[in-house]
Amino acid sequence: MPNQRFPKIKILHVSPHEIKFILSETDVSMANTVRRIMIAEVPTLAIDLVEFHDNSTVLNDEYIAHRLGLIPIRYQPPDSIKGGDCHGAFLPHRECVCYERCPRCSVEFELDVEFDAAMRHSMALNEETDVLAPLTVTSRDLRSNNESVHPAHFLHNEQDESQDDGIAIVKMGGGQKLKLKAIARMGISKEHAKWCPVAVATYRFWPDIIINEEQVATLTMEQKQELVDICPDRILEIDPVTGMLQAVEGAWDMATYTEDLKFCQDALKKRPEDDDFVRVEPSKDKFIFSVETTGCMDADEVLLSALRVLKNRLNYLAQEVENLKETQ
Amino acid sequence: MNAPERTASFLLDEDNGEMKIVYTADTKIANSGTFRFNREDHTVANLFRMQLLRDNSVRFAGYFHPHPLLNYIDLKIQTNSSTVAPIEVLSAAIEDLSNETDHLISQVTDSIEEWRKQNDAGAISQF
Ligand SMILES: [Zn+2]
Repeated sequence: MPNQRFPKIKILHVSPHEIKFILSETDVSMANTVRRIMIAEVPTLAIDLVEFHDNSTVLNDEYIAHRLGLIPIRYQPPDSIKGGDCHGAFLPHRECVCYERCPRCSVEFELDVEFDAAMRHSMALNEETDVLAPLTVTSRDLRSNNESVHPAHFLHNEQDESQDDGIAIVKMGGGQKLKLKAIARMGISKEHAKWCPVAVATYRFWPDIIINEEQVATLTMEQKQELVDICPDRILEIDPVTGMLQAVEGAWDMATYTEDLKFCQDALKKRPEDDDFVRVEPSKDKFIFSVETTGCMDADEVLLSALRVLKNRLNYLAQEVENLKETQ
Repeated sequence: MNAPERTASFLLDEDNGEMKIVYTADTKIANSGTFRFNREDHTVANLFRMQLLRDNSVRFAGYFHPHPLLNYIDLKIQTNSSTVAPIEVLSAAIEDLSNETDHLISQVTDSIEEWRKQNDAGAISQF
């Protein structure tokens, strides 16, 4: 087909919870589509149904059910150390053939915690331990019926600093009890934000820094230095050998605020209608993406899953267009 | 009470015979028509619009999302000549985009692999 593009991807950084990359040689519609799908259409698991057996805590059932829903649920395929794409591993519950639920479309968690003062007393390390201090029920108390599915927690290298004990659900006092069964299902965040795999998914335009050599040649060394100094992001420098004004290495990553540069060069112009010495313009075909996950899956998997969602959608729509052609 | 079903924005109402795409030819302008995509939003609509505008045989392409609570978009296409129907250019646009996405998937897979190779030492120290 004649109008196909061949975009390029350059990875800047990949870690389990974050990916930064540059998408180029395509346009803003593709960048925005990828961003929107990462936020709203990548399938993940989240607790969707809660059966309460006993709840004598200070929070009511609905409140706790809501808090459980917001806990990121991580699917880690067997023999993998990565939080993976749950598409394919699970079925959306509406598409499953089972009557109510089955392991193909859901994961069950059980939680059974009781504030037992006597037991805490016997386990206390010394006299100073406060056995009546509130007990925090966390996501670590959820027991899954599927080996590959667990609530997301801090990664090991972060844990040393944060002393992560899980995500707090409710605090308990003496004699209180919480017993429930929670059912996680696969869904997308168009239905509810709890299924959103990302905390941040943004792109910004690549800044094109265009230096008009001819115009700059009319400036004195002091004036060039003025342009270098005025920019709070320090995106310009003077080449020590040639004395030419140039963008610093990595200027694309720093250029955010260029208004000062604009005012400064307007003042330096001999006539107001003269061309700018330096222009910083948003690129039309190059985008810097930054994606952070909630922990439910690895960041690179979010990106790949989003692209697979787009691919499937386009195939589906192409088929629908073919069907439409036949009926006409 | 009167909140719409949360799934209404993406699940086709097949029980009531809702079609994914409905085409209406324009009665006043030649080689022109409107495609209604049910249960779609800006995500694909803007992608299609921009891709159609890159096609030389397309004179006009634009889309309309009337209200956030209405879960359809109307995509209007006018072509240059009667030899090319709007549905043909739409079909070609979707195929191009599909190939572009395929290309993107392999780009992402390859560049992540390459990045991991180059940053192997860093990756090991994380675990
Ligand atoms: Zn099932």
